[in-house]
Amino acid sequence: MVDALLHVDRFLRGSDDFHPAAKVRRPWWWLPLMILCFAAIYGGFMGSFHFVSIERTRQVLYSAIKVPMLLFATTILCMPGFVVLNTLLGLRDDLGESLQAILASLAGLSIVLASLAPVTRFWYFSTSNYRGALLFNAGVFAFATLAGHMLATRYYRVLIARHRYHRIAQYAWVVTYAFVGIQMGWTLRPFVGSPDMPTSFLRDEPVSNAYIVIMRLIFGG
Amino acid sequence: MSLFRQLDELLRGEKTVPGSLSENRVDLPLKTFVSLAIVLGGVYGFFMGWYAVLNREPVEYTQVLASVIKLPALFLLTLIITFPSLYVFNALVGCRMTFIGTLRLLVGAIVVNVTVAASLGPILAFFTLCTASYPFMVVLNVALLSVSGFVALGFLLHTLRRIVVRQPIVNSDPIESFAAADSPEFEKVSSRAPGALEQVSRDDREFGPANVVFKIWILLYGLVGAQMGWVLRPFIGAPDLPFQWFRERQGNFFLSVIKHLQDLFGSG
Repeated sequence: MVDALLHVDRFLRGSDDFHPAAKVRRPWWWLPLMILCFAAIYGGFMGSFHFVSIERTRQVLYSAIKVPMLLFATTILCMPGFVVLNTLLGLRDDLGESLQAILASLAGLSIVLASLAPVTRFWYFSTSNYRGALLFNAGVFAFATLAGHMLATRYYRVLIARHRYHRIAQYAWVVTYAFVGIQMGWTLRPFVGSPDMPTSFLRDEPVSNAYIVIMRLIFGG
Repeated sequence: MSLFRQLDELLRGEKTVPGSLSENRVDLPLKTFVSLAIVLGGVYGFFMGWYAVLNREPVEYTQVLASVIKLPALFLLTLIITFPSLYVFNALVGCRMTFIGTLRLLVGAIVVNVTVAASLGPILAFFTLCTASYPFMVVLNVALLSVSGFVALGFLLHTLRRIVVRQPIVNSDPIESFAAADSPEFEKVSSRAPGALEQVSRDDREFGPANVVFKIWILLYGLVGAQMGWVLRPFIGAPDLPFQWFRERQGNFFLSVIKHLQDLFGSG
């Protein structure tokens, strides 16, 4: 356990085997495992908004499953385009390291999320306003995404020094990931769990498009 | 399997390494690459056609089949219509590229186009599953195909420059190479072959009139392609209209996109 957390510490500091330019081979599953664990921790806390009965434990469990699912499913959908773009830009030889940078950004995002989990729980303690809880979570995710992006930039700096086109690949990834991720988050809702609705894995209504919903909110109609 | 190895070589830029190209030698066998364009265009068309299946009552699968056929047809028919004029004008301005060489290069660009589009297919499929709004799907498809179109455009122009310039590779700025020499990555930098989209020379003057002809031709291809898309419609299939192989000939592509954008931002 302590050993595992030391790994996380080294990852956050970007030292030793997690140094962006490290030559040491470390098991490939470290980063995915970190995403899985830490995103699930935050998911659990996220789903504990209306934690009043045993019945509501299920929301905790569902959200703990769904947050990592959100991150991984979005990654899988965006991957083919990313690989083709990298190949076309002549960066295929660095593909392994590009993937490492992307997974690092997601792992960073998950760890920051998990570290903010107590704050979220505290927020839930202080208010029972559902909309407020949603907004707070949106803020936490935005912040964690920013932190993840900074971590990815640490890895990408090495790659960009090697070839300037890596910058294009990085931005293309961020744009597609955000575009698909927002819709994925909308599809997989509820994460927080409205007190007025029964607990469910997915909302019991037809799937809809997040962007259309946002546009309706803005433009009416 | 060799089909995909050829595709991989094209994407990696191994087929278009500067120096290996000349006016009459472009190593892109037409048979292989036309079939690749058909297969990969069909993949994108497959994802495109599902919207109609999911949003129509009663369920009708013919739209998927129609889109699978129509999408590669869109690219290849546009090429057939615009290629002769490109060749004639190229010959007029004295570009030494042969007929077959030009054709191969353009088919290569189309393959790049449909490959990028097909790689965005999973994203399209996901949004198809989540979306009921027809204007959104139209705008999303136009956006995805535009992105892939611009990537293919970059491929075409850079490859053309390589053919015209034919000089040893200048991989990067002297300053960049100097800075890289300090890092342990230096060996990797110098041994790297330029990618398919990489600029090999920064001076535009060397390219001469052939470059101008190509740029005008690309505009023509874009316009004809957009209108061809309009003639071949429906690709997506409006949920309130029945399936037809072709709609009646009226209006044009650009008016339609503007209308869908207005629908999307206006009433949602």
